[in-house]
Amino acid sequence: MNMLKKIWLILKTPTSAAVGFVIALGFFGGVIFWGGFNTTLELTNTEEFCIGCHEMGDNVYQEYKETIHYANRSGVRATCPDCHVPKDWTHKIIRKIAASKEVWGKITGIIDTRDKFQEHRKSMALREWKRMKDNDSRECRNCHNFEYMDFSEQGSRSVKMHSTALASGEKTCIDCHKGIAHELPDMKDVEGWH
Amino acid sequence: MKKLITGLVLLGAVANAVAQKDDSSIDTFVNNGGVESLRGKAELNETRQSDKMKRVLKDRDVVERNYVHQPPVIPHQIRGYKVDLKSNKCLSCHGWKYAKKVGATKVSPTHFETRDGMTLSDISPRRYFCQQCHVPQVDAKPLVKNDFKAVKSLSYK
Amino acid sequence: MNQSRRDFIKANAIAATAVAAGVAIPSSASNLITDSAESKIKWDKAPCRFCGTGCSVLVGSQNGKVVATQGDPDAEVNKGLNCIKGYFLSKIMYGKDRLTQPLLRMKDGQYHKEGNFHPVSWDMAFDVMADKFKSALKAKGPTSVGMFGSGQWTVMEGYAAVKLMKAGFRSNNIDPNARHCMASAVGGFMRTFGIDEPMGCYDDLEQADTFVLWGSNMAEMHPILWSRLTDRRLGHAHVRVHVLSTYKHRSFALADNGMIFTPNTDLAIANYIANYIIQNDAVDWDFVKKHTHFKQVTTDIGYGLRPEHELQKAAKNVDSGKINNLTFEEYKNQVAEYTLEKTVEISGVPANKLEEMAKMYADPKKKVMSLWTMGMNQHTRGVWMNSLVYNIHLLTGKISKPGNGPFSLTGQPSACGTAREVGTFSHRLPADMVVKKKKHRDYAEKIWKLPEGTIPAKPGYHAALQNRMLKDGKLNAYWVMCNNNVQAAANLNEETLPGYRNPENFIVVSDPYPTVTCQAGDLILPTAMWVEKEGCYGNAERRTQHWFQQVRAPGEAKSDLWQLIEFSKRFKIEDVWEQELLAKAPHLRGKTMYDVLYRNGNVDAYPIEEAQEINDDAHDCGFYIQKGLFEEYAAFGRGHGHDLAPYEMYHTARGLRWPVVNGVETKWRYKEGSDPYVGKGKDFECYGKPDGKALIISAPYEAPPEAPDSEYDMWLCTGRVLEHWHSGSMTQRVPELYRAFPDALVFMHPDDAKKRNLRRGDEVMVESRRGEMKSRIETRGRNRPPVGLVFVPWFDARQLINKITLDATDPLSKQTDYKKCAVKVRKV
Repeated sequence: MNMLKKIWLILKTPTSAAVGFVIALGFFGGVIFWGGFNTTLELTNTEEFCIGCHEMGDNVYQEYKETIHYANRSGVRATCPDCHVPKDWTHKIIRKIAASKEVWGKITGIIDTRDKFQEHRKSMALREWKRMKDNDSRECRNCHNFEYMDFSEQGSRSVKMHSTALASGEKTCIDCHKGIAHELPDMKDVEGWH
Repeated sequence: MKKLITGLVLLGAVANAVAQKDDSSIDTFVNNGGVESLRGKAELNETRQSDKMKRVLKDRDVVERNYVHQPPVIPHQIRGYKVDLKSNKCLSCHGWKYAKKVGATKVSPTHFETRDGMTLSDISPRRYFCQQCHVPQVDAKPLVKNDFKAVKSLSYK
Repeated sequence: MNQSRRDFIKANAIAATAVAAGVAIPSSASNLITDSAESKIKWDKAPCRFCGTGCSVLVGSQNGKVVATQGDPDAEVNKGLNCIKGYFLSKIMYGKDRLTQPLLRMKDGQYHKEGNFHPVSWDMAFDVMADKFKSALKAKGPTSVGMFGSGQWTVMEGYAAVKLMKAGFRSNNIDPNARHCMASAVGGFMRTFGIDEPMGCYDDLEQADTFVLWGSNMAEMHPILWSRLTDRRLGHAHVRVHVLSTYKHRSFALADNGMIFTPNTDLAIANYIANYIIQNDAVDWDFVKKHTHFKQVTTDIGYGLRPEHELQKAAKNVDSGKINNLTFEEYKNQVAEYTLEKTVEISGVPANKLEEMAKMYADPKKKVMSLWTMGMNQHTRGVWMNSLVYNIHLLTGKISKPGNGPFSLTGQPSACGTAREVGTFSHRLPADMVVKKKKHRDYAEKIWKLPEGTIPAKPGYHAALQNRMLKDGKLNAYWVMCNNNVQAAANLNEETLPGYRNPENFIVVSDPYPTVTCQAGDLILPTAMWVEKEGCYGNAERRTQHWFQQVRAPGEAKSDLWQLIEFSKRFKIEDVWEQELLAKAPHLRGKTMYDVLYRNGNVDAYPIEEAQEINDDAHDCGFYIQKGLFEEYAAFGRGHGHDLAPYEMYHTARGLRWPVVNGVETKWRYKEGSDPYVGKGKDFECYGKPDGKALIISAPYEAPPEAPDSEYDMWLCTGRVLEHWHSGSMTQRVPELYRAFPDALVFMHPDDAKKRNLRRGDEVMVESRRGEMKSRIETRGRNRPPVGLVFVPWFDARQLINKITLDATDPLSKQTDYKKCAVKVRKV
């Protein structure tokens, strides 16, 4: 009886009822929104989404299909977001906000033909390489963790570079492995290239 | 007469074979006479099973040359290495600027020469497509042994 | 040649070897130069054994064996470079299974068609062979004997063979494997210019602003010319490269404008460019009016198949090469049909790409070099297509000028020098003459000192027809020399194999190695190759090159020349000529064919003392036979626009481009100041034609004989790869080359593979209406076909793609189209 009375009292007092309602609504709404946001976010993090627009599907995706990250001995694949979208939340959001530029590019059709894509390839590649260089090839390292590299299983040429330049931090993955998944732009004046 | 009959029968077999695209009827007269070609003993009308796709030797030491001006073969795999108007992957290790650091063989000085024998400050464009002369090797025994003998001073092993 | 420079190079090479010697002996650096006799290598020049580029090679030998090769720095063609095949020439002669004695099919000590091969003496080999040739001649006459020769024969060998067949046996059934490779180019040249071979030369490669590859993968097939083109493109920012092909290949790596077109639609593309030039007022009227006539082809001419084939029966004007007059207005209307829109629709090439290429041709300030090989020649409308490209250059006057001109590349090392210039085709004689013309036959008979009427007037069986006639039992004694036609000729199952194994026939195969052709033959003759004999080759830019014998052939192997000569000794002239002819030359009675053909005062004119110490052919004859043959042959062309220099000049020169008049070679023909045959003040003169004018020959797009349908749903294109020469009989025996590209593969688009549930490396059956073959799938190699097309190289004797190819030919050139037929590919 006491209990019923208490509830009645709360309901009878409009301010506290509103507060409670708003809190509850906020909580559940938050849950729904958060879930929806994350779901949407994750949806944009799939290969299907990435290659949904022809700019990606007809260009970089086709090139990538020929490479070791697509077809290889064991069938382990790296999809677009594995390399191009950070895994942790903060960096992911930053990357996603930066992606609004890509949406704008899509709307204005800046790379909607192969020729236009080729024209912009270098600036796009340089931007992505810089991002990777700045974050010490973080996305590469999600799979290729230096700690667990078994040099006895690597080719002599790989060991030579990995045990020196990579180990010391002088170089990061992307310094040597440019073009590993896509065609290269004109490499004139790119460091390390002839 | 007997010869003629055999001839006619065999000719019939030919016509038949052609009409029906049936290999078995050619069998009667196709015969390699015991001579082995690069296809071995397989008869010419046989559909030979294809050999397994061979694998490129991925990581070898430098392979010795048979004579001084033989272009060295590529002792590693080159999957995905592009050489085109935009880039030359080979030179990002074998170019003089990078070779020492990565432990690669330096491009030979001959590669800096123009058609007229002038030495340039960089690789001559006529040598740009490395794979015209340098090729990777698969893991396979030669089909036929080769008796070429290098001069004494270059006979390794 | 600059003697001192060459010596310098030799000295360098020796020094380099010595340095290497020092490295190899670690005990003491003072061992650097050891015994000079031991470190000494004998160096001499030779043209490369492989393609039509004609690179010069320095060959080093020691103790009678080749021990090294290197690019010849003094050669204008290659300036010290070779491709991977050329660099491994040292090893081509040393495959373990070199043939060293004649092998004859026998049962119970006698020749038997179904017997196994047994070693026999040369004497016995020639006895059996002569017997078979004699009985064929007796039973059915000269048309029952024949020979399939080669664009890899030396000039002298080809020439000796032509004499043997056309004058000795009086049979025009001699054709070279160059029929498979250059016949359409010849047809194009003869129709448009009246004289064979390119007007320009390789020097154009250093001077053009724009290159257009019309069906040629130069990066793999002509690597040294590609390196010259690359030099030009990368060294000069304004230079552009356009590449046309039915699939993406290595030459696309340098392409500014790469274009993939639907097979056979190059006809439409060439017409579109002509249309563009006219529509945009880019015709060089001064040139066109002064130097050209307009003509049109006869259409609907069939596909060179057997007459009973329905496509032949359906064609209105089978094999017709008739060309009719046309006014410019009529020509303009004909090409006007090929609008940009229509051409895009037919060819599948995007409009901007076609336009970009057309603009280059139309721009009077751009020097354009068009290049092509098998894509245009192995084409059922190859002769038309060659002319269509000439049309573009003639309309714009872009011809016979440095950097400006159409250039037909050649496949084989002496397709030009031997097959074309010597005229080893079933319809030809030396120096562009033909058996059909009495004047030409008379001329040849006069040089050969033979009675009038010796050479038959009717052209003999061409390559595809030879196989058909073997099968039909009309060609019975047959000599296959210096080629591997059982691996090359299309439709192996239905034509070649039944032909070779037809019990009525006797097939002789001369080769250094046991090829699949040997396996299909009845008598195998072991043959000396390359620098095991003296010879000359002629490359694609009219350059004749010479080499001396440098080492001896193994065992009893003998050169093709020796074989031809020795065989000719087995026949009395009465055995091969009818009485009527003999009556005209009674002094020849009782003589052998050898006496009549090769001891005629010309061929044996030069004493043995003039020959090198190592020259087995000459020493076996007792006179300098190579020089005698060369000089007699040269008499055909001297004064007729085909002038060759005296033989000795070639001993030192790195080749000379004919016509060589007063010791000076010709770089650009038909051009005053460069070509001595052009009349004074004429500027340009196409002197192959009676009035000096070239023909602009209109031809429409016509469909190919076979195209993919619901059952055979893919195009098949065949071709070569960089590392292997033709059928691989030499290069597959070099371990480094074998390991570089060991097996033929089916290059396929990944989407096509997926559709068929195929993965890279899967075994597949490739099938056509004619045969089948097993191979493996490659989805990411050097060739990238579009969806709907597969590419398969033909070097692999273990796969034999020619069981699948169609033996349709250009009806005019009789050259087989190896670039398109319909196949299906399924998982095994």
